[in-house]
Amino acid sequence: MNARLFITRAGPLTTIQDAGRFGMLRHGISASGPMDRAAYALAGQLAGGGSGAIEITTAGIDLVLEAGNCRLGLAGGVFTARHNDRVVPWPGVVTLSAGDRLSITPGPAGNYGYLRFDADLDCPPVLGSVATSTRAGIGGYRGRALLTGDRVDLRPVAEPAAPVTVTVPPPDNGPLRFVWGLHADLFSPTIRQAFLQQPFAIGRRHDRMGIRLDDPHGVFAEASILSLVSDAIVPGDIQILGDGTPTVLMRDHQPTGGYPRIATVISADLDRLAQMRPGTMLSFAAITADHALSLLRSQI
Amino acid sequence: MTDLSASNAFPVPTIVPLGDACLLVRFGTTLTDQANRAAIAFARLLEREPVPGVDEVMPNLVSVLLRFDPLRAHPAQIAGEIRLRLFALRDSDADAPAHWTLPIDFDGPDLEEVATLLGLSAAAFVSAHNSRTLRVLATGFAPGFVYCGMHDDALVLPRRTSVRPMVPAGTVLFAAGQTAITATPLPTGWHVLGRTDFANFDASASPPTRLSPGDTVQFTVAK
Repeated sequence: MNARLFITRAGPLTTIQDAGRFGMLRHGISASGPMDRAAYALAGQLAGGGSGAIEITTAGIDLVLEAGNCRLGLAGGVFTARHNDRVVPWPGVVTLSAGDRLSITPGPAGNYGYLRFDADLDCPPVLGSVATSTRAGIGGYRGRALLTGDRVDLRPVAEPAAPVTVTVPPPDNGPLRFVWGLHADLFSPTIRQAFLQQPFAIGRRHDRMGIRLDDPHGVFAEASILSLVSDAIVPGDIQILGDGTPTVLMRDHQPTGGYPRIATVISADLDRLAQMRPGTMLSFAAITADHALSLLRSQI
Repeated sequence: MTDLSASNAFPVPTIVPLGDACLLVRFGTTLTDQANRAAIAFARLLEREPVPGVDEVMPNLVSVLLRFDPLRAHPAQIAGEIRLRLFALRDSDADAPAHWTLPIDFDGPDLEEVATLLGLSAAAFVSAHNSRTLRVLATGFAPGFVYCGMHDDALVLPRRTSVRPMVPAGTVLFAAGQTAITATPLPTGWHVLGRTDFANFDASASPPTRLSPGDTVQFTVAK
């Protein structure tokens, strides 16, 4: 009998994700996919092969396995997981039988955790992917976040994934590294210098589309750049809103936009950024695109 | 004397990195007809002659985005392949593949104000708006959202100063010398002229949008 999950408590913005819905930018749809890609991969490695993941946010999730049995891989941030009231390791593996409860509650660090399975999440692919796009309202569970009372079926793995060896990068509290952005030359040298020297903090408005930064020293308070032609956006782009608020655009970014973008956070640092909680202080460092590539390759 | 400049009227682009997994071929920093035509033409050429290692090509208003897997491809090599293809770019690469006639109900809340700001009656504005065959300049911002242009210089207005929280799919918008059509509900700072039954986004269809950059569009008054 196929396994079935019954969600008894879902935190806000709990979504089903896979690697992403690539190739749809020209239709106005960004790829979505996991906010922390390394953690998503690690959970998959632990679970052993199923497609799709449940991405949880800081509030966690409670679920019951209504039928069948399954093996789960758990990873991402630091959460507390209980299997029928017994604490299990995080990251780690847990095997559920029919009637078992799994409860995940917030831990000391991180915003996103991943539940992956030894079976495929039974969601209809939309445009080639089961990733939920919160912006486009497609994919995942009926195009929306999971809610308390939802049931998600698991089915046997259709295409076994190639085994991957996941290396989780060591903790890094250094500056977030970026490549200068599309509109960097429109910012004054004074502002560009201050961007490199002043501290910023993760703001309270924080979701899959973007992370607003607090700018305590007002680096961008006077940056008024108007009327830019709308152009392509990529994950990691740091755009400056009209009121001077810096925002890092994340996996559910809009595919194009007209706000000035001073920089793009490198791929190798995006997972780390996604897991920083509101209030976390951060600073930025400029590197070349070539250096960014070598850092990314060294992570694998 | 031969006018060499006339042999290729497209602006000379710059190739810039966008992060570490994309390159952007940029034909301008402001929206011009030639920069838009060049972006459309180059995206088409890349479909015909794909660059090895490039996973996705996205035409924008004045640029083309090329996304690659940074673990497999190197941007310097891709930039070289881009330059090779740029020299083969022809004006005919921008020719319209399809023509559409799109009926509009001009009953939007901003129609009167737009007409007044342009010194026209509502009827004269609608007539001027529909007088020219426009081009789909780009799809972007949201699923199936298209920018159509360019209108005559006499029909250029900035956006509204305030944003409407949500307009439905099929809303016909106007600003910056362009008419845009929404295909999903979204907030907008553009002027709302009316609505159309034409649906440009269907997630269950392949491809999910119907209008392509470069297509020509004739707006008419819905009967």
